[in-house]
Amino acid sequence: MRKGRHLSRSLTMVLIAFFLLVVLLPLGKMMLFLLTTDVGKITSSDRFLTGLRNSLTATLVATLLSVSLAMVLAWFLERSAITHKGLWSTIFLVPMLIPSISHGTGLVILFGRNGLLTNLLHLQGSIYGFWGIVLGSVLYSFPVAFLMISDILRFEDYTPYEAASVLGIPQIKQTLAIFIPYIRKPMIAVVFAVFTQVITDYGVPLMVGGQYTTLPVIMYQDVIGMLEFGKGSVIGLVLLVPAVLAFIVDSLNRDRASSSFTPRPFVKKEGKGTLLMARAICVLSALFILLPIIAFVVLSFAKKYPVNMSFTLQNIERAFSMNAGKNLVNSLVIAVIVSCIGTCMAFVSAYLTVRLKTPATRILHLFSIVTLAIPGIVLGLSFVLFFKGTFLMGTLTILILVNFMHFFASPYLMMYNTLGKINPNLEDVGQTLGISRLAIIVDVIIPQSKSTLIEMGTYFFVNSMMTISAVSFLATSRTQPLALMIPMFEAQMLLECTGVVSLMILMINLGVKGLVAMTKKQLEKR
Amino acid sequence: MKIVVSDVSKDFKSSVNVLNNISFSVVEGEFLSILGPSGCGKTTLLRILVGLLPPTSGKVEKDGIDITNASPSERGMGIVFQNYALFENMTALENVAYALKQHKDAKATAVETAFEMLKVVGLENEKDKRPGKLSGGQQQRVAIARTMAMHPDVILFDEPMSALDVDTRLSLRAELKQLQTRFGTTMIYITHDQEEAFALSDRIMVMDKGVIQQLDTPGNIIDHPANEYVDKFVKQNIQIKIDSLLPFSRKTV
Repeated sequence: MRKGRHLSRSLTMVLIAFFLLVVLLPLGKMMLFLLTTDVGKITSSDRFLTGLRNSLTATLVATLLSVSLAMVLAWFLERSAITHKGLWSTIFLVPMLIPSISHGTGLVILFGRNGLLTNLLHLQGSIYGFWGIVLGSVLYSFPVAFLMISDILRFEDYTPYEAASVLGIPQIKQTLAIFIPYIRKPMIAVVFAVFTQVITDYGVPLMVGGQYTTLPVIMYQDVIGMLEFGKGSVIGLVLLVPAVLAFIVDSLNRDRASSSFTPRPFVKKEGKGTLLMARAICVLSALFILLPIIAFVVLSFAKKYPVNMSFTLQNIERAFSMNAGKNLVNSLVIAVIVSCIGTCMAFVSAYLTVRLKTPATRILHLFSIVTLAIPGIVLGLSFVLFFKGTFLMGTLTILILVNFMHFFASPYLMMYNTLGKINPNLEDVGQTLGISRLAIIVDVIIPQSKSTLIEMGTYFFVNSMMTISAVSFLATSRTQPLALMIPMFEAQMLLECTGVVSLMILMINLGVKGLVAMTKKQLEKR
Repeated sequence: MKIVVSDVSKDFKSSVNVLNNISFSVVEGEFLSILGPSGCGKTTLLRILVGLLPPTSGKVEKDGIDITNASPSERGMGIVFQNYALFENMTALENVAYALKQHKDAKATAVETAFEMLKVVGLENEKDKRPGKLSGGQQQRVAIARTMAMHPDVILFDEPMSALDVDTRLSLRAELKQLQTRFGTTMIYITHDQEEAFALSDRIMVMDKGVIQQLDTPGNIIDHPANEYVDKFVKQNIQIKIDSLLPFSRKTV
């Protein structure tokens, strides 16, 4: 028993040291950079102020639209008797499988100067700028809001509504007195999550922003193009603010209710009008979500967009002749390693924090979730500043490390919740029966967490395949991941090739998701 | 076999005197219930006895050997929890056999022994069901069978029937007493239910605020309560039950 306690204490300390080295010290280095930077000059410059204003305006509008759309769709799927709910949910979550920049590509192909729909419908105006960013950001951020709101609605209890109906309270009053108070707190978390996601993204604004520059784009251009790390650090710090706020709000709102509570399900609305409206909104939203994706699929096989749209495989050949194959291998290596090591480490961390509550494990918990508050672009910059000149720079290892840290918190929380629901006395019983802690973990806890472990691995894999923000400052031509070829091809005006890359990422992620869904079904059958 | 607990105290960082100089002994084959309200320290005492928690001070002896610092597996004690703590991914038979398979000497006959123990608790026909497919009472029987399969000298029960309905409690209560008589196992039973304690025990230890208020036979606790607390705690509760039933009995008469 004592040996086991020593081992877990040592493991906790090693993990804390690891997080210190890989997250807090790089962030600290970035902060230190501010001491040697003329912060006042940067923050009072026109470029910065315009970027800040643009970022805030576009993000506010995108967040409002994204959350509203997600709310409407989640409500219809959770509360109405609409059929094929699984199919609709799958469609609405597809945007999560491609980089944000790909949504921008899709919009350019549809609504750009010579866009397919621009020409077809003789549309006036330009997608480049404010509305391009807003539309792209809605596409990119909406699935997260949809997932969160669906969960909130799914776990709402119907009992208070039944009681209110028996008492003759009208529906509008029920909404004001029951629904609004119930949804208020979690919705704040949703709004913060979406706001943070949009304001820190540079994929969409890079593609469709045009002259409407946002802070992440300025940061990207200044660091990549001019190696202005000081300016990058200042913007990084500004971008940390909403993320840290979101983190605090989320931590305060985290559900502390008993996990064993089973809500009484709602009676699904079956009225003709409701169903008709539900179907219409689902179809329209699916079109809005799928059209940009279909657009880059079409683009991948078009001879020369927009002049010659006949079918060709030349774009694939061209992309591969420009190292898409090698970069695909890089991406797969990164994603597989991040997925395997990340899942193991997130499991170990969650096990220590849930099953061995000590002051040290409480610190480990805080360190494990702190990356939720660090945008990928900021993490990437802090890595550059901290690891510059070390043997890690220019290697796949640093890309693995940055992806691992960037995506660690969510899978960790998945396992944290799962382990919290597993009987807390298993190890105690094991001790009295002479079963080692390791045996209980291997034979009892891991089999009971299989489904979550698979989800964690998938999360690490899918996100590592498509991220560009965390890796853009760290990749070299030798270690470049596939997703980074999208801005590269875009800069070279090879839009067809950006389509090919986006399509490759989508297909791989869809394949992995499909495989996981089948595996989980098999596991459930058992 | 005899357990002697001497001057055991327990303080936590968040609260001191959770247990305050507890001393008592348990003889072989005895059924001792520890009775008291929530937060009186009974679960802490049980965890110290089984070795899941070290005492701040004091000593626990078994057959004259100091086991205060011995690991739980070295103490020859088993524990049954209120929430069963079954291995959800294993069948009833696998649950019982699993611990046996971890021990070299019991490995070869693990499945047969497990099946025999399931028979003892009347669950041989449910052996292939996972805990999720069993009722609360059946799950608790599997937990008891799993513990008994290891042939411990002492079994400690931490409110094992709190989550069960009245009928299941009554039948499990009778079965537990039968098992104890049949195997002669010493049992230490934690509960806050007086009825359960009085029905099962050779002796009852009434606890409050980390202190033993009285340790005696059920009869003596009723007839000669050691202090006002015991008198109130035991008698008042019984009186409440009688009072609540009286109106119904008058109606039927």
